[in-house]
Amino acid sequence: MAREELVLPPIIVGMIDVNRLGRELEAFEDYMAQAKARKSSVTTPPRTSQLLDTLASANQLNLLQDIDRERLALFLQSLQDAPSVHISFAADPSASFTEKIVAWFRENIHPNVLVQIGLQPNIAAGCVVRTENKIFDFSLRENFNQSQQALIDAVGGKQ
Amino acid sequence: MTIWWLVLILGYLIASAAGFIWVVLHLKGAGGGKPGKHTATEQFQKAAEEDVEHIFNDEFREELRNRGRLHFEKIIGENAMFLQQDLRLTTSQMNEFMKQEITRSLEDAFKNYQSAIGDAKQMAIDSIEKTKTTIDEQRKMLTLQLETEFSQQKAARLKRFDEKMAEIVNHYILGAIGNQIDLSDQLEYILSQLETSKKAILEDIKNGA
Repeated sequence: MAREELVLPPIIVGMIDVNRLGRELEAFEDYMAQAKARKSSVTTPPRTSQLLDTLASANQLNLLQDIDRERLALFLQSLQDAPSVHISFAADPSASFTEKIVAWFRENIHPNVLVQIGLQPNIAAGCVVRTENKIFDFSLRENFNQSQQALIDAVGGKQ
Repeated sequence: MTIWWLVLILGYLIASAAGFIWVVLHLKGAGGGKPGKHTATEQFQKAAEEDVEHIFNDEFREELRNRGRLHFEKIIGENAMFLQQDLRLTTSQMNEFMKQEITRSLEDAFKNYQSAIGDAKQMAIDSIEKTKTTIDEQRKMLTLQLETEFSQQKAARLKRFDEKMAEIVNHYILGAIGNQIDLSDQLEYILSQLETSKKAILEDIKNGA
């Protein structure tokens, strides 16, 4: 039976979150290994983070199952090579805002794309998206720069 | 003229002295004659000589000498007086002449001095005029240069202002409204912009991957 590709929920934004999940999953794995070594049955899993819970629930995985943890570890490992974009805002975005942006990228660009959030106060509004080879400037600053000639003409620089 | 007068007076005095001496000597020679033949003529001559000796005796001669001496003294005195007058006149004329000469020399010197001062003054005036002309020309040239430079600087500043104005306005607006725009209000705009560039982003992601 072919395994279905796991889904990366929008709450997991970038590589930092992926690495954090990897470390948490390793700790979980250690915990389970120790329980197995003690030959004690684990009925309640250790406390996990919201990220890991969301990831597991989004993919209907039971972290108490070895095979599911293995799938999750492999998935997280595969994300090391996932495409990434860098997006900068004028202010620090809220979690919900970030989720919406990440969701758009996952739906329209790539399901496993990782987003790195940056801060550029001088752009005033909008955002600047930087991919592997290109920069897409959707900021108000760029918009103003493109409209400079119109401003000069309006002020009277051009008779 | 004074020298000639002096020469004439001296000549006159010398001639008078010579005449007086000749008279004295002639009278003295007439008194010592040789004895001649005792002829009538000789007798007559002898009688005449005796008469002469009788007429022109020593007293008469002494009288003549006194008269001559007095006359000579008188002439000498008159001539001395004339000489003194002439000398005074000459002295006064010489003083006048010297005064005139000195005055003339001084006047010439003053004229030359005034002329030199006038020339120097004229040269100074010319020099000042030339300097003034040069300064005026330089001032005009400097004014022209300054005006040119001002206009150039003005044009450059206006050009720079035109170039930088939009940037300054942008910077000001961005600084003014940068913190006033909520990110959540921008979500639609950002998503629409992402949508317009979706294809380009997708291609770059694929190529990058």
